[in-house]
This record gives sequence, C-alpha cells and structure tokens, in this order.
Amino acid sequence: MTTTDAISKPDAAPPARRLWSGVKALPIAYVGTILLLVCAALLRPNLLQPFLLLLILRQTAPLAIAVIGQSLCIRILSLDLSFGGVAMAVSYIVTSGMLPYPAPVLLLLSVLFGVAVGATNAYFIAIRKASSVMVTLAMVLILGGVVTALSQFRAQGDAPEILRYIGQTRIGVVPVAVLVWFAVLIPMALFMRYSVFGRYVDAIGSNPRAAGTTGIPHVKVVFVTHIMSSLFAVLSAFLLIGFVGFGSATIGVDLALNSLAAVILGGVTFGSGRGGMLGPTVAAFMLMFCFNLLTSFGLGEPGKQMAQGAIIALAAIAYAAGDRRR
Amino acid sequence: MIAILPRRMGRTGLGVVSIGLPILLFVGLSLQADNFLQAQNIANINSQITTLLIVALGQLFVALIGGIDISVGSVVSLSSTLLVMVDPALAVPAALLAGAVIGLANGVGVAIFGVHPLIMTLAMATFVQGLALLMMSGSGGTVPEALIWMAKTSFGGVPVSFLWCLAAVAVTAVLLNRTRFGLHVYAIGAGEQSAAFSGVRIASTRIACYVICSLAGSMAAIYLTGRIASGDPTMGRPFSLDSVTAIALGGVLLSGGIGGVWAALLGTLTLGLITNGMNLTGVSPFFREAITGVLLLVAVSLHRRKVIGI
Amino acid sequence: MSEAASAPAAQGRVEFRNVTKQFGSTRAVSEVSFSGRAGSIHAVTGENGAGKSTLMKMLAGVHVADAGEILIDGRPVSFPGTAAAREEGVSTVFQELTLLPNLTLAENMFLGREPRRYGMLDRQAMRRRSRDALASIGIDIDPDVTCGDLALSEQHLVEVAKASVADSKIVIYDEPTAALDGPGTEKLFRLIEEQKKAGKLVFYISHRLDEIFRLCDTTTVLKDGAHVATLPTAELTRDRLVSLMVGRELAQMYPPRATKAGGAALVVDGLVARSGRPGVSFGVKRGEIVGLAGIEGQGQRDIMRAVAGLAPGISGNATATDRQGAVFPVGSSIVANTRAGIGFIPEDRKSEGLFLSLSISQNIALGMLRKASMFAAAVIDRGRIAALMKQMAVRARDAGQAVASLSGGNQQKVMFGRWFSADVDLMLIEEPTRGVDVGAKAEIYRLLREFTENGGAILMTSSELTEHIGLCDRILVVREGAIVAEIEGARATEETIMTPALTGSHGERAAA
Repeated sequence: MTTTDAISKPDAAPPARRLWSGVKALPIAYVGTILLLVCAALLRPNLLQPFLLLLILRQTAPLAIAVIGQSLCIRILSLDLSFGGVAMAVSYIVTSGMLPYPAPVLLLLSVLFGVAVGATNAYFIAIRKASSVMVTLAMVLILGGVVTALSQFRAQGDAPEILRYIGQTRIGVVPVAVLVWFAVLIPMALFMRYSVFGRYVDAIGSNPRAAGTTGIPHVKVVFVTHIMSSLFAVLSAFLLIGFVGFGSATIGVDLALNSLAAVILGGVTFGSGRGGMLGPTVAAFMLMFCFNLLTSFGLGEPGKQMAQGAIIALAAIAYAAGDRRR
Repeated sequence: MIAILPRRMGRTGLGVVSIGLPILLFVGLSLQADNFLQAQNIANINSQITTLLIVALGQLFVALIGGIDISVGSVVSLSSTLLVMVDPALAVPAALLAGAVIGLANGVGVAIFGVHPLIMTLAMATFVQGLALLMMSGSGGTVPEALIWMAKTSFGGVPVSFLWCLAAVAVTAVLLNRTRFGLHVYAIGAGEQSAAFSGVRIASTRIACYVICSLAGSMAAIYLTGRIASGDPTMGRPFSLDSVTAIALGGVLLSGGIGGVWAALLGTLTLGLITNGMNLTGVSPFFREAITGVLLLVAVSLHRRKVIGI
Repeated sequence: MSEAASAPAAQGRVEFRNVTKQFGSTRAVSEVSFSGRAGSIHAVTGENGAGKSTLMKMLAGVHVADAGEILIDGRPVSFPGTAAAREEGVSTVFQELTLLPNLTLAENMFLGREPRRYGMLDRQAMRRRSRDALASIGIDIDPDVTCGDLALSEQHLVEVAKASVADSKIVIYDEPTAALDGPGTEKLFRLIEEQKKAGKLVFYISHRLDEIFRLCDTTTVLKDGAHVATLPTAELTRDRLVSLMVGRELAQMYPPRATKAGGAALVVDGLVARSGRPGVSFGVKRGEIVGLAGIEGQGQRDIMRAVAGLAPGISGNATATDRQGAVFPVGSSIVANTRAGIGFIPEDRKSEGLFLSLSISQNIALGMLRKASMFAAAVIDRGRIAALMKQMAVRARDAGQAVASLSGGNQQKVMFGRWFSADVDLMLIEEPTRGVDVGAKAEIYRLLREFTENGGAILMTSSELTEHIGLCDRILVVREGAIVAEIEGARATEETIMTPALTGSHGERAAA
C-alpha cells in the first residue's frame, strides 16, 4: 500500500513549451542583457563599438568583484550593504597620506582593515543575531562618519602608482582591471562549486534550521562569508581608486545597491539555495550597460537611482511571485 | 515562542534600559552642560525630536508586525519637495497622497508578493530618493505660509511643536490600544499563523501598517518643511535608520509583537538627548553620525533574534 | 448511517463528499466521504499523518479543498478563512496553541470577533464575557493576565473556552488532551458532553483509544489520507479499531528485536536538560534501540535536544563511545557531535531536517562531509549514494531530483540516508516515521534495525506508543522530566507504559 508514494512525473510537455519554461527559469540578467543590446543596436548603435564595450567592461570590473561578495552573502541569507563605507575608508587609508608608509604596506593595511570590518559584521550578525541589513548600514554610518570627520584634517590625495596601473593600463586590448576581475572570479567560482564550503553555503541558503540540525558550522560560514565579502569590497575599492587616479569621499557609494541589484537580477534568490556566479556577473555588465544607455538618453544621477530602485523592486517581486507559484 | 518572551511590562516593551537611559542622560546633561536646562534648549530639543518622533511612531506600526520600513526617510524627502513644488492649495494633499501610494506599494510587495521587507523598502528608498532629486536638485522653493505658521507658532507660550508631538502620540495610542486594528497588529506580530486561525485578516492589516508608516513620513515632512521654511530633496536621509534606532532603544522588539507608544517616545527622547548633548559639548557632526551608527548596532543587538541573517 | 438519516431536524449535520487535498506531490486527504450528525460526538482517528487534521482544517476554514465538497445541513460550503467558518457556526480548538503570548486572555478570547462600542474596542464586555466563559468550564483566571504568563495546561483550557464563547453548532477538537493534566481533561470531557446535550456536533480528533471509547458515539478511521470506515463506536473493539488504523497486523510492521547488545554507545549521567527539571541518567548500548516514551511535553524532547547539542543542558554529563572504543563528550554543540559521529533526526523534517530545494544527492552528501574541512574539496561518493538509494528503496527519478518533490516517506528515507552514508555510530531520532505512509514505515523500521545490527545505536522519541512497543529494545518512560520507569521492549504494553507515564508509579514493573 504505497499509493501515496507517487513521484512527480517527468515533464511530458512538448519541446517548445519545455524550451520556454527553460528560458523562464534563466536569470533575468541573460534576457535583460540581450534586450538591452538589441535596444542599443536600434537606438544607440555607437554604444556597441568594440572599444566602448571594452570600456564598459572595465567599468564593470569593480562592481562585478563586489557582486561576488554580495552573492555569497545573499546565498547564506545575509546581506552586506557596507561596501560604500569600506570603499571610503580604503580610499582614505591609501590616498590621504595620514599613514606614512609605502604603498604596499598601505594596501596590506587595507586588506587587514577589510578582514576587521567583515569580522565585525559577522560578529553582530552571527553571534548577536542582529539583522544583517541593520548591522551593515550601521557600519556605513560609522565608517562614513569617521572618515568624513578625519578628512577635515587631511584631504585625500593621489592614488599609488600600482593602483593607477591596474585601473588604467591595458595588456593588448584588454584592460588590466578586467584581467584582475577574471583572475578573482574564476577561482572563486571553482571554489564555490567544488569545496565543502560551497556545499555548506547551498545548505544554509536552502534551510538554515536544517543546517543547524545537520551539524553545519553556521556561525563559521557566516564569518568566512562576510570576511570574504569585505575583502572583495576592498579589492573593488582598489580598482575604483585606480580608475579615478585619486582618493575621494564618494568613491563606491553605489557599490552596495548596485551589487544587490545585480545579484537579484542574476538569479540568486533568498531561500532557494540556488545561485551561481555567472548570472550575477552577467547582471553586473547588464547594469553598467544599462546606465551607459540611460546616460546616452540624457538621464542623470537621479534617474539612475530610480532605475536602481525599480530594478531591485521589480526583480524581487518577479522572483517572489515565481516562488509563490511553485 | 512563549518561553522567549521576555518578562517585560506586558507588551509595552518598556524595561529598565528604555526607561533608565533617558533619565540618566537627562540628569547627566543637566549636571554637565550649564545651558542644557534653559527653556530655550528644552524647546530646541522638543522641536528637534518632533520630526523623528512622528517618523518613529510610524515605524512602530511596521515593527509591531515584524516588518521594517527603510524607505520612510525618502518619503520625507519626496514629500518635502512636493510641498514646495505643487500648487500651495494642493501641497498637503499631494504630500499625503504620495505617502499613501508609496506605503501601499511597499505593503503590497511585502504582504501580497512576499518580498522581504528590507529588500522591498530598500529598493523603494532608492527609487523615491531618485524621484525627489529628479524633481528638485537642491534645497529651496517657497513653502506655503500656512505650513510655516503650523510649524513655528506658539499658543500661550506652548510651542506648536509640542502640540504636534501630542497629536501624533494621541493618534497612535488610540489606534494601537483602542481599536480592533491595533489589537490585530499586536496579534500578527506575535504569531501570524495563530492570528490567521483566529480570523485576523493578515494581508490587509500588514499593508495598512506600511501605509501608516509612509503617511507618518509625509506628516513629518509637513512639519519639518514648515519649520525650516524650505523644501529639501534630501531632508529625510537620516530618518529611516534613526527611527529604527529610536524604537529599538525604546524597547520595541524588531521581530514584532512587543512595543508601544511609550517605548517609541522614550527611544526618540534618548536619541534626541544624545544628539543635543553632543551639540552642546561641541562634537563634530560627522562623529555624531558615527555615534548614531554605534547606537544602531547596540539597539539592534539588544534583542536577540532566533534567525541569523537579513 | 440510517440512524443519522432519521434524526429529527438535523441542524448542524455535516457531510463530506469526495473531499481531496493535495500538498505538493503528497495527497494529504484523498476522496473522503462520510457524515456526522447533530447532537453527537464523532471521533476522527488514525495514525499520525493519516489526514485527520487536514480534513478537519478544511471544515474549519484553514485549508480549501482541492476537490469534492463539504455540506452543512445539506448546503455546500467553502470557507476562505476561519472567520467565514465561524460565521457558519464552526469553531475549532486547534492542536497548535493559537493563543498569542503578548495579548491578554480576554483579548485572545475575542480576537477576530471583538465586541465594539462607538467603533472602539469594548474591553469591559470582553472581560465580562471571558470571565463567564471560563467559569462555565470551571476555571478561574483573571482575564487581564497576559497569556504568555499562563502555564501550558491553562493555555489549552483557555483555548477550549475560546471556542466555546462562539455560538457554534459544530465544534472541532484536535487532540485536545495532549497537553492537559487529569483534572483538566475531566473539565474538558464534561464540557464536550454538555455541548452534545445542547445538540451540537462535536468532531473529536484523537488517536487515544481510551478517550474514543469513553466519549464518542461514532468513529471515523482514516489511513494514508483515505477513508477506511465510519462506525458506531459501540460496534467496535479495541483490537478491531487498531487494525483499522494500522491496516495490517503489528507483527508484520516491525523487524525482530536486537540479537546482540554490545558495549556502551551513550552514557548520560545526571543530565539536567532544562532548569527546574530533575537530572536524568541512562545508557544506550551498541546494537540497541532505546525509546523515550511518555505523554507529550513531559521533557523527552528536551533530553533529546540536550544530548544532541542543539539546546545544551544546564548540568550533567554525557559521553559516547565510538566503534573503535574512543570515549568523547557529547551535547556541547551539534557541530562537534556530528563530527564525532552522532546523527540527529528532528521531528519536523520539512522545517528542520531537509533542504527541500536541494537534490537528494546534495542532501545525503552533507552527511559524508561531516568530518571534512570547510576549505577542502568536497569528495562525494556518488556510487555510494546510488547504492544507498537502492538499498533504502527511495522512489525517485534519480539522485538529482529535488527533495521537495518526493513523498513524505521518501523524504524521511533521504534524511536517514544522510547519516547512513556518514557512517555514524549513534543516531538520535525524534519521531522516526511522522507523516509517513504504512509501507514506508515498515521499510524505515527495517533500515533502523539494520543500522543497529551493524553496530549502531539509536535513541528515539515517538508520540505513538505502538512504535515504542514494536521497535524498541528498551523503553524509558519520562514524566515531568524524570525517567520514572524502564521497560523491556518485548514485555511492554500500552498499559505498562501509560501507568507510569500518567502516575509516575513503578507499580507495573514490580508486578511484572
């Protein structure tokens, strides 16, 4: 008597419909990117020139690196909105001349600083069990407040040579920044796919309570993830400082929200335990391309902000509605 | 669920910290800063906290159902721009309508589609802030005379800001303690499933809370825009996080079900006194921001949740 | 049924016609038809997961039926919510506590149907009417007290009073005595008898035979979501009722008991699981299945979770010995427990046990990785997973299928598979077969016995006495947090377990 042991039958739908449902399951970013490219081809064909595309790709690099960190956080049902604060502080450490050390030491200090911020975030999130959004937003207030207050005494200066090299040079036609991006992305994607850590992340994302009863070290995973996330933010800040050539208090203010938008567009959703690296990466490019397109239509900073908000809200609603139906 | 409910004064959220902290600050400041107790300074504190209090009372509704609204600051900003940009006769209705629509959108996203409130309101915050900046790039504009009067006049020595506080507190208290809606808000915060079993309409009550919060944002903007006699598209920036900090300091449980008017009031007072104290002792305004951040960290880790993450 | 048809003016008559409810791929209720008549107490019984609660929740307005219809007084009804059901005169005492801990007793009693004056809450009326309702079932509690401050049994009585304030013609009780003490139960039974006399139809969900035979006029038996029989209780015997519920002889369900008991696998010494509870001491030997039995909520779960390291105990000691003879402490953290070779199976597999959106293989592999370093490569033995799925008879397309799409029984097997694949020495199991159909139950029992025959050891809890009696080698009876009796599995009967569980006396054991 095992009549209730019915297995859900494999799809018997015709190939066309299966293809369609396959397309629907893809992250919004893929379809979105294609739509944007088509849109550009029709309305602003010069955006598709190879050198401009490479430029946009270079522009994407810092965001895409931050996106790696954000996607890790979201996959364990957390969130890191402290990227802007981290970038601001790194910019100050590296360019203000407040610390009289050579560039490599400053970069190392920035990395250690990233570890400290990540660990602090993780402490409040995992041990004190405070909401990650609140913790990381508080972190932005703290870092932003301290750096702005300190900047009154000493203005930020030029970027170190090495960062300018990474930010502004090309090898052949390929910008060094893009190489750095892929040099980080590919090992990270492989690590997430083949390591025990990657499996823990999937499990926690799928059901944190079950992760608890299965003996998965949840707290440790949160620490590692948030430290990684802050380190990616530091690297992202390095690239941004390199592009601009000098430090600034507004560097990276967009990173947190843009990375959140990219991760959601890239198909990493809360509570599904799913999500790869490719979707968010494509989404980062899509966002940058979209902003360039909007700029070419004469949309300013406020319009970009509205687009950010609308994209996050609509993508989140679309995925949530999809999950409901399932 | 029952076991984790801390022994507090009923569901008011009040405890030793939330009552003791403002008293301690008050005593400390009156000893430390000579001009603290002057009537002018007290009136200053009152008018400084009025805006935050109105927003915090709105945030209270959302917190009681276990939600959060970080778009309310942007609502303040947008309402402020609307107040100076549309026809004076329509200024107030336009601001309130904007608040209602934004609250409705938040509520529908959260309660109908099931988007996490932090994601939904964060997205909304960004969108609405962009919209405010699109309409008006910097502060300015002409504020209708009536609004300035409503924020600045006084009746027999009692500044009108005090009346604003009184009205906001009274409306909130009646809604929460005397109506069916208020009871349902507390019920949903303590257990959505159980409340649904008892016949409480979950979705509409939750949506109503987001609408109330946004309306509170618009009301706060009406007061503040009148007071500074100018519209400002970034006026509301600090209020989202400050309002959460305030109610959490006052003992409102951010996971829902526990908290009340007194908690919101005391939390706002605490934050107001800290800001005033830093003003009087000449701390750099940027460090003040950092200290607000530290307070937020402390406030959100006061009540330990069961879940780790967002 | 003829009796019901001839009943005069059958107000409150309920008829279920081919009612069906599906959750995902599981049919919780499948084409159930029967009817109940006014002025009677109607038992709805069956094993855990038989569909009793789901069926009644459709009448209560919690779920909406996928197919079939429910008729009240011959009129088809469909309730979008509990409020709608209440308007039609259906009130329910749910198994889960629905009292909200932050509201006062009076507020809880009238939540969703608050009396109002001038648009505002009429608190005075709420207080007065609550006091009356409480008095009518013989309890005296201040209606202004916050419900979170009440004892568990008091809360259940308030829950009962809450349903009785509604002027209803149909009352549903879902396992109402699970958390009540003796006097509380008596009060409840008196109230139910009165409701029957008043001409109401009472549906009484329970799997406690004593209560059914004492209280109910008619009995409906469900099994695996389907209707088995509806009979006057007078025509039933205990044995007949049990065989209707289980659907086969008990002897066929359970594997033979332990053939060999080895050395100690788990030794618990003076463990205080929760403050205010006494310390408990017991052991589990290799090759043994030991059950913690008792009335629900007496502390079995606390002991289990303290040993598992999920809610570390206040004081006391627990050590485990692995197959190689190494002794190590347990219960400080579940992470350390798992690394050391102790698997934990929670009672609620969907919310606490499984990663529903992940595949079978991903779920099982987490067990294999229990000792691995976080930064190491995940080495997964796919052949082992395939072999295990075959051995456990998991019915699925392949190992890549999402666990969410499996039936309850197969999900449960996947959860066990995680620890089988991890070569654990000891399993701590809460409710080995909750919500699992009979066929899968027998398979799971066989798998558990295989595990212990190969040198494993099991400590388990269960809310079904038959499971303890059929499966365990030794049964420890827990009452108020203390172990009050130890009974050899082969000699255990419902009476030998229930007597100490209810009274705490060791009388039965002395007699045996």
